[in-house]
Amino acid sequence: MIKKNMKTLPEELKGFINQSGLQEEKILYWVNCDRGIDGGFVDTYVILTEEALYRLSNGQTFQQEKTFKGFVSKTVNKDLKPLEMNQLKIERIGIDEIHSIQVVNLIASGMLVIKAPNERAFASFTNGNMARAVKLESIFSKLKKNESIQFQKEWGEEEDAAACPHCGMIYPEKGRPVCPKCLKRHAIFTRLLGFARSYKKSIFFIVLLMLLNSATGLAIPYFQGTILFDQALGGTGIFAGKIALVVGIIIFLRTLSLLFGALFGTMNAKLAANIVFDLKTNIFSAMQRLSLSFFQKKQTGQLMTRVNNDANELQHFFIDGIPYFIVNAMNIVGITIILLIMDWKLTLICLLPMPFVILLIRWVFPKLWRLGWRRHRRVSILNSIISDTVQSARIVKAFGKESVEIDRFQKANLTFSDVEQKFNKMNSTIFPIINLITQIGGILIWAFGGWRVMHGDLSFGEIMSFVTYIYMLFGPIQFMNNIAGWWSNCMSAAQRIFEVQDAVPDVSEKEDAVHLEKMRGEIRASHVGFCYEPNKPILKDVSLHAKPGQMIGVVGPSGAGKSTLVNLISRLYDVTDGEILLDGINVKDLTAESLRKHIGIVSQEVYVFMGTVAENIAYGNPECSVEEIIYAAKIANAHDFIEKLPDGYDTMIGTGGYSLSGGEKQRISIARAVLHDPNILILDEATASLDTETELQIQEALESLVHGRTTIAIAHRLSTLRNAHYLYVLDQGKVVEEGTHEELMKLNGMYKGMVQKHEDALKMKEVI
Amino acid sequence: MVKVESTLCSQEIVEKKTDLSEAARIHYLTPENTEFALTEGKLLSVRVDGELYPVVYLHCSFPHSNKRMFISVRTSENQEVGMVKSLDEFPVDIVRLLDEQIHMRYFAPIITKVINIHEEFGYSYWEAETTAGHLQFTVRRGGGNVKMVSSVKVLITDLDGNRFLIEDVNQLSEKEYRMVEMSL
Ligand SMILES: Nc1ncnc2c1ncn2[C@@H]1O[C@H](COP(=O)(O)OP(=O)(O)O)[C@@H](O)[C@H]1O
Ligand SMILES: [Mg+2]
Repeated sequence: MIKKNMKTLPEELKGFINQSGLQEEKILYWVNCDRGIDGGFVDTYVILTEEALYRLSNGQTFQQEKTFKGFVSKTVNKDLKPLEMNQLKIERIGIDEIHSIQVVNLIASGMLVIKAPNERAFASFTNGNMARAVKLESIFSKLKKNESIQFQKEWGEEEDAAACPHCGMIYPEKGRPVCPKCLKRHAIFTRLLGFARSYKKSIFFIVLLMLLNSATGLAIPYFQGTILFDQALGGTGIFAGKIALVVGIIIFLRTLSLLFGALFGTMNAKLAANIVFDLKTNIFSAMQRLSLSFFQKKQTGQLMTRVNNDANELQHFFIDGIPYFIVNAMNIVGITIILLIMDWKLTLICLLPMPFVILLIRWVFPKLWRLGWRRHRRVSILNSIISDTVQSARIVKAFGKESVEIDRFQKANLTFSDVEQKFNKMNSTIFPIINLITQIGGILIWAFGGWRVMHGDLSFGEIMSFVTYIYMLFGPIQFMNNIAGWWSNCMSAAQRIFEVQDAVPDVSEKEDAVHLEKMRGEIRASHVGFCYEPNKPILKDVSLHAKPGQMIGVVGPSGAGKSTLVNLISRLYDVTDGEILLDGINVKDLTAESLRKHIGIVSQEVYVFMGTVAENIAYGNPECSVEEIIYAAKIANAHDFIEKLPDGYDTMIGTGGYSLSGGEKQRISIARAVLHDPNILILDEATASLDTETELQIQEALESLVHGRTTIAIAHRLSTLRNAHYLYVLDQGKVVEEGTHEELMKLNGMYKGMVQKHEDALKMKEVI
Repeated sequence: MVKVESTLCSQEIVEKKTDLSEAARIHYLTPENTEFALTEGKLLSVRVDGELYPVVYLHCSFPHSNKRMFISVRTSENQEVGMVKSLDEFPVDIVRLLDEQIHMRYFAPIITKVINIHEEFGYSYWEAETTAGHLQFTVRRGGGNVKMVSSVKVLITDLDGNRFLIEDVNQLSEKEYRMVEMSL
């Protein structure tokens, strides 16, 4: 398995190649084509040399076994047969005979189709080899065109199939060298505890109070049993007859224990809140660092909720988990020592049922957990149906689908209550059984203890203390048993949080990146090519130039790649071909901070984060003043509607908060850009979701904003672009026309057609 | 969409339908106007109303609910040549040919036995017997990577986007079902 991901050919194949007179030096590139054309998995290699294309396969035999990326089997490669050389068939097609090689996308796989001279399905491969196949295609076309092939570069550019040095597993996420297998829970725990480091003093006091709490608590049964019964009531020892004093001491100890407990509880809650706060702050600042694509992939709302939930879970664990773990551990150790000192034989007897209890719990808990998961899933389905329906209420009504929605809800609700009942039934039968078994321990003590009391080996007071201690032991033990599952759940929560914190941005800053304090705002894109996924080019050879202070318009049908182009300028993604220069410096050489500082985007997809309106506007400049926020809102025409909200600028928006209309969100994001005050402003259909009147109002604001800045404006409504100095028309990822408005109108091409359509639409409106 | 059509009966709606299809201008391929053939290079070619398309590919409109209906015939430039409304309109040998081509495009191992699903830190590691042999693959948790695509069919997508299918969850044993359920 690991072998296949290596950049070099498998050893056996090398030998074979040498034998067949095909020198390895001549090999330009190769792809492992692991899928049979008609289905099934095979082991075929397609090798490109300077003279020919080779296909090495062992005929039609399918592989019996296959391991995909990310999986490390425990029986490493044991059963995998090496390539059987004698069965290997080799096919050679000279380069001159081949017109072209094409990668055809199939579902979850791809196929190499060669034209020699007729099309022919040559080999097929699973998705994991797509990138290499595309590379083969491009090397071949370069070869055909007699272009020079940069040997080293082609080979070195291979994605790093970085694997975990411990277990050999390929890191499941590209660019994230975290091996989920070797990442140990205790490491996460240690990292989590790292957050507690700055609170050493309070931790010291908390532990001290815990100790006192345990110590006072443990002394009570001794006083209640031995001292009260044997000494005070039995009339022996120092406390003989002093019943009131003993009772007083007991009450005093109880109060003290309670007091210590309450004290450490409050101190601990505060500490936990602080730690979790630090954790959250840390994550949110980590999130700011990440590129937009991270959010696009994870869906902001969902991510925020998840981080919040996970953080709350951890907080809960810090308050109710860790401290009680320590207290209970101390209690268990303390009680066991006391019991053993008092009477070790009796101790062993009454611990007899313990293993059974633990076994039972071990057996039952997975079942309970599974039922819990099933219940959780039903609840989420139910919730999503509810939120779906609420959000799309207008559409549901418009299409008269209320009854369908009700049915859907009813069905989900029924299955939910079914699962819920099962869960509760399990819960309510299993715990009494566990309790019963535990009680047996108590009965055993009474039986044996009573017997020994009658023989005079033990006093009645002692057995009273003993029983109390035993009962005090069961609680902590049960807690310990539960905490194991809880602990690993919490570590997963922590892991998810750290995942955000550790996420490596798609585009990473160079080590010697240049920081630009000032920017004139010249943009130059030359021969830019880009694809999100291999073999699906979105931009092809796009060149664009904006002088400082100019306004450039980009128009074209939707899906043409306009948003993609501006995403590349602000380096949310890296270009695949060509380069983008700002003030003559390649964006790849600039620090992320200078890009963020000098480029402002108002995009077509508006992002509203969970937080207040003010926080949302101030997002990018957290240290700005309140006036600035309001000015920005005023300019963006958002002030009036914000003021109308009951909570004004403090209104919580985003997931779970007040829901804003599309236009309102858009205005908030315009306000964000206004406040940001960048030198390069990108308006990506910034006014698309606004009505004409609001658009006109904002247009004025934007015009004042555009003044003195380099602006790239993308617009559907061409009237918005009438002030542009220069226009580019983009279609299917290519610049098809460019020039000033007048020049383009004279061209009588795509632009003119769009303008005419636009005018017609406007006329229609007037008629109506 | 398929279902809706079968329940339509009122005259009015039927009329609306015809209007819509006229507007959509879908070119239906029938045995009368279409000739499918397998090329020497194992690819599909088609002659429609006399015009030859040397290489075409079949895209199912409903790959999960019904692979045999509304099949779009497209060139490698993603231009639609036309649509096959139902495979069964064609003679048996052509259906076999088209079936093979569909299989070529949509090939995904069908899980016959789930051996083990092991969860760790947001990934589940699957080991299963399938129609394409014994497979081991890794699935990222959440994000719909394991999802029900019909009332009985489960689609599993691994890290690289490779697809695996469970045709009918009811055919799984109790133990297998439990493992699969935890990843849904
Ligand atoms: N994050 C993405 N991943 C994959 N494909 C994408 C992504 N974003 C956009 N695309 C694709 O890129 C093409 C161009 O999109 P876009 O630049 O948004 O077009 P425009 O803004 O001109 O409407 C579309 O076909 C779209 O499907
Ligand atoms: Mg766009």
